[in-house]
Amino acid sequence: MSQIIWNGLFVGSFYALVALGYSMVYGIMKLLNFAHGDLYMLGAFIGFGLLVSFSGFTATLSLVALLVVLLLSMVGTGLAGVVIERVAYRPLRGAPRLSLLITAVGASFALEYGMRIVAGPNPEVYPVRLGGSSVHVLGAQIGIAQLVLIVIAIGLMVGLNAMVMRSRQGRAMRAIALDPVAARLMGVDVNRMIAIAFFIGSALAGAAGVMAGAYYGSITFLMGFIIGLKAFTAAVIGGIGNFKGAMLGGVVLGLLESFGTHYLGGQWRDVFAFAFLILFLTVRPTGLLGERVTERV
Amino acid sequence: MRKTRLALAAVAASVVALSGCQGVFGGGDDSDSDGPIVLGMLAPTSGSSSSIGPYMTDGAKLAIDEINAKGGVLGRKLKLNVQDDACDPKTASTAANKLVAAGVTMSVGGYCSSATLPTLSVFNKADIPMVIPAANSADLVKQHLPNVFLINGTGVQQAQAATTWLSKQKAKRVALVDDSNSYSTDIAKRTKTDIAKTHGMKTVLHESVNAGESDYSSNVHDIVAAHPDFVYWTGYYQEGGLIIRQLRQAGYHGKVMVGDGSVDGKLISIAGTKQAQGVYATMTETPDTLKGAGDWVASYKKKFGSEPGPYSPQSYDAVRVAAKAIKDAGSTDGKKIEAALMKIDGFPLFSGPLKFTSDHTLTQGGFVVLQVSGTKFDLADDLKD
Repeated sequence: MSQIIWNGLFVGSFYALVALGYSMVYGIMKLLNFAHGDLYMLGAFIGFGLLVSFSGFTATLSLVALLVVLLLSMVGTGLAGVVIERVAYRPLRGAPRLSLLITAVGASFALEYGMRIVAGPNPEVYPVRLGGSSVHVLGAQIGIAQLVLIVIAIGLMVGLNAMVMRSRQGRAMRAIALDPVAARLMGVDVNRMIAIAFFIGSALAGAAGVMAGAYYGSITFLMGFIIGLKAFTAAVIGGIGNFKGAMLGGVVLGLLESFGTHYLGGQWRDVFAFAFLILFLTVRPTGLLGERVTERV
Repeated sequence: MRKTRLALAAVAASVVALSGCQGVFGGGDDSDSDGPIVLGMLAPTSGSSSSIGPYMTDGAKLAIDEINAKGGVLGRKLKLNVQDDACDPKTASTAANKLVAAGVTMSVGGYCSSATLPTLSVFNKADIPMVIPAANSADLVKQHLPNVFLINGTGVQQAQAATTWLSKQKAKRVALVDDSNSYSTDIAKRTKTDIAKTHGMKTVLHESVNAGESDYSSNVHDIVAAHPDFVYWTGYYQEGGLIIRQLRQAGYHGKVMVGDGSVDGKLISIAGTKQAQGVYATMTETPDTLKGAGDWVASYKKKFGSEPGPYSPQSYDAVRVAAKAIKDAGSTDGKKIEAALMKIDGFPLFSGPLKFTSDHTLTQGGFVVLQVSGTKFDLADDLKD
């Protein structure tokens, strides 16, 4: 039992990290950024590229090097997110919502198949692998690497929370989420704030990508597709646009999948998880924490 | 049953109608008889299985160049027309229609069974014989279409080979794991049936995972909880590598075997060399495991600058079988080629001498058991005794 819960929590924390970016972007500009899952993929590949080109250093200081690579990849992915926003979304900000949605799908495919040209279609294997020893807690086998990754994930989420709730930029973002026109009238630089939101959201997805690469080991240009859908689901469960909801939604989805697999078998996992999602949304259409519409982002 | 018969009748009717058309336009065909004979090939060059595409097309190109160097077939050169099926049923049927429109004489492609299935009737209606090199789900020959020939061992033979090896290894409790695709599920189901018939062995769990994910810890938890002494994975290498790694991390110490879709060096690097040691695999015979194929590998490397991969040999063989059939038939007429294919007896393939059964599959399965040793797969048992 405790093992099932732990498995769910661990997968859920990946969903949560990616879901945060989804939710942030949706909260601030009502855009479903379908390219978000592919930024996770991009992060994994940037990390892979860095590790391969500096393999001399990483052999000795694997954990420290991995943290440095994690930060660099986050910056790289964040910048990529900003570029995508500038090129593909900003020119369409006044356009119908549907056009924007299709641009997002376009950005997603462009990233996936662009990466296929750069890195090739074969799965790549991370040169640094997290594995190693594990500890037993309440009957569950917990890897040290898993603990490290969860701590990093929680750290990133807490940091983001503090930033959005306490800092000036965070307040400006929340203002835009509430009313972009009024925010602009009050002197908020809307374009800059949206760019920052994209940077942070994409950087978080990139972090999740590097962590997944280092933990699971294999990365492909299509790896962002499924996790993008799952993270989107997690964001909706939590109440899209709501920031704590995204984290909660990720964990809930992870647990649903884990329990579904155990009690019904692997072939029924998604049937169970998503049937539950439909039922849940009919009862609570705004998601777990979605009622606080005044507190988006 | 009745429905099938109706469908078959409809197919037959359209074949008659189409061959009628060809009769009418027969003159056009003949005037083209000096040009090259075009072989069509559907292979995944994009999408999740895109790594396989180049292996297949290069294998086919090698055979075509060798045949052309010897003067071609019926005095005409062979030419390859490759279309991407992306391992996706919809893309594949569009691509098949493109090949039909391009006037190919035969089809020598087909990797993913699920994507190859909808192309069968497309080629059948146009009277184009298919020698399918890689796709090998038993579903492909279920309709008994006259134009469909498989030169890879099917799930039936792979399941037999797996069960033979499991009982040789004295396995008692087997866990079967598939990736929910038709090919993988087919092998798992057939293995389950074969295990049920074997004394002293039982299937303790049949689990399906979703392809394309990274975390299989929930599935792995179920597998370990069922206490198997043998785990048989019937899917592809990417998920296979992750599952092996996660099984070992979860403390599973029993034996692991994988299906032919997982036989790739990447399986070992994804799982980790240490974790993958001793893993068995059921696999059709390949250049690595076949004596006397060194020259073939050398000429492949010389031509393409890379090692042949999975299904390079089968694609090479498919082209050779196609060329032989056209030559034996003395014509590019679909019906005559099909008759010639059925008459082939003892034509040497990598998997052994070729003779088709009445189901249009190989008489000899040609499956062997490999074992991971170091960073590659070595022959463990050719199952020939």
